[in-house]
Amino acid sequence: MFNLNIRFILLLAWYYGFRTIKRGISYVIYSLTSPLTLLLILLMVNPTFIKLAVAGGFLALVASVALSSAGDAAFLRLELKIQDLYVASTVTQYDYVAGLSLSYLIFSIPGIILYSIIGSLLSIFTLFRAFILILVMMMLIIATSSISYLISGLIKHVRNVWGIAGILSIIMTVLPPTFYPYNLLPNYALYVLMISPVTSASIIVQNAFGFVTPFYLPAIPVLIVETLVYAVMALTLTKWRER
Amino acid sequence: MIETFSLSKVYDKGVTALSGITTTINDRLTAIIGRNGAGKTTFSRIVSTQLEPTSGSAIIDGLDILRDARRIRKRIVSIPQEASPISVLTPLEQVKLYLVGRGLSIKEAHAETIRVLDAMNMRDFKNSPADTLSGGMKRKIFVCMAIASNADIVFLDEPTTGLDPVSRMEVWSSLGELSGEVILTTHYMEEAQELADRVILFEKGRIIEDGTVENLLSKFRGKVRVECPQLDDYDYRIGNRVIKYVNRKDANEYIGLGCKVKPITLDDIFLSHGVQLEY
Repeated sequence: MFNLNIRFILLLAWYYGFRTIKRGISYVIYSLTSPLTLLLILLMVNPTFIKLAVAGGFLALVASVALSSAGDAAFLRLELKIQDLYVASTVTQYDYVAGLSLSYLIFSIPGIILYSIIGSLLSIFTLFRAFILILVMMMLIIATSSISYLISGLIKHVRNVWGIAGILSIIMTVLPPTFYPYNLLPNYALYVLMISPVTSASIIVQNAFGFVTPFYLPAIPVLIVETLVYAVMALTLTKWRER
Repeated sequence: MIETFSLSKVYDKGVTALSGITTTINDRLTAIIGRNGAGKTTFSRIVSTQLEPTSGSAIIDGLDILRDARRIRKRIVSIPQEASPISVLTPLEQVKLYLVGRGLSIKEAHAETIRVLDAMNMRDFKNSPADTLSGGMKRKIFVCMAIASNADIVFLDEPTTGLDPVSRMEVWSSLGELSGEVILTTHYMEEAQELADRVILFEKGRIIEDGTVENLLSKFRGKVRVECPQLDDYDYRIGNRVIKYVNRKDANEYIGLGCKVKPITLDDIFLSHGVQLEY
């Protein structure tokens, strides 16, 4: 498992992430529309939470890109047959998933830059906050890419690819408290939404940035466990060689 | 060399795709032919370690497809049916990525990719995104991957389906560049006749004929096929046509009856097994 083909992972990420940005800029704009629209609505409805929403926007962006990619992964498998091509080669499931996950991170870079500019203008960053945000985003992209790959493995027909990916993206990124303080939610709702790693990630960021106090400590182990569980599930439950 | 022993596959909904296939494949180019749903792709996918069999086993160069899949994968290439390149990537990028995946360094992969793209007359298109290329060119990208990987065994699953005649001939001509054994799955009889040293005919998950094209056609030696709108005495009826096999010297008699005289092909082998062809 740990004998990863790093060259392949980086090259796949570069080609599939960067080339898409370069040659298909509309996809990048599309990936930005949902988080930016929510940010704009929030700005008009309740500007009090704007700083919190910008910080949450980072999380919504990476999670949304990674979760939408369930459609991509299923499309590569079902329509282009690219996964089959690599199954019958020395590329392993771990190389393939890692390469795709990393490509989604690259794909998110234009949005991350945009949010960084907005965040800087609003003076929300310190060194500590930036460090926490990067760490949380890294874990979030692993967790959401894993969910994405897991779901993509369950999709049997191309006709369902984009619909399921869209639904998944909305449920997992719009409902969780990315653009509003988590303490507005009743406890039971917060627990239910914990199924999405975006929820625990948002709680950590809102605490670390000082938007909501006191610190909700359980969010840290929850995010770590969720990341591990989803990653293990994706790599064990998704069939590389079909049965 | 590929050896299979009672290889069977039953899918989840109870559909039997393969029924106890036992065979040995050790020729330069073996064509597996059959109608859609005959089991040829299932056979190819199982033997190339993409799909698990329900029962039976397969050995490739002494390695078991279930126990030794990782070692087998170093020695094979399998181009899936209807595989299509990633639209934003160029042929150079697609082949290079595949070779890096197979363990070459980026520098080696780049050099080998350039060599093969040049050899396959794709130099002018090497930096064009795949979605700007013709269907034939897209398929050739995968053939380039197979050639560049220098594998011992190459599985090509219907590499020319949906291609126009010129593109198909382009792909056919490129197959000569492949090293090692080639297992070609196709439902085009003329493709098998043109390219294969050996032909295995599949129908309903079973092998119904196996041999060289000449051997398979030998039972029709000296005969031709006549297809007529109507005849009292015929061998097969397909749709609104009847088919009869006659000696070549007697064929002219049937032209006057509005019949068409055609040479014997692998289609006729299928017909001889009572398989209704799809015209």
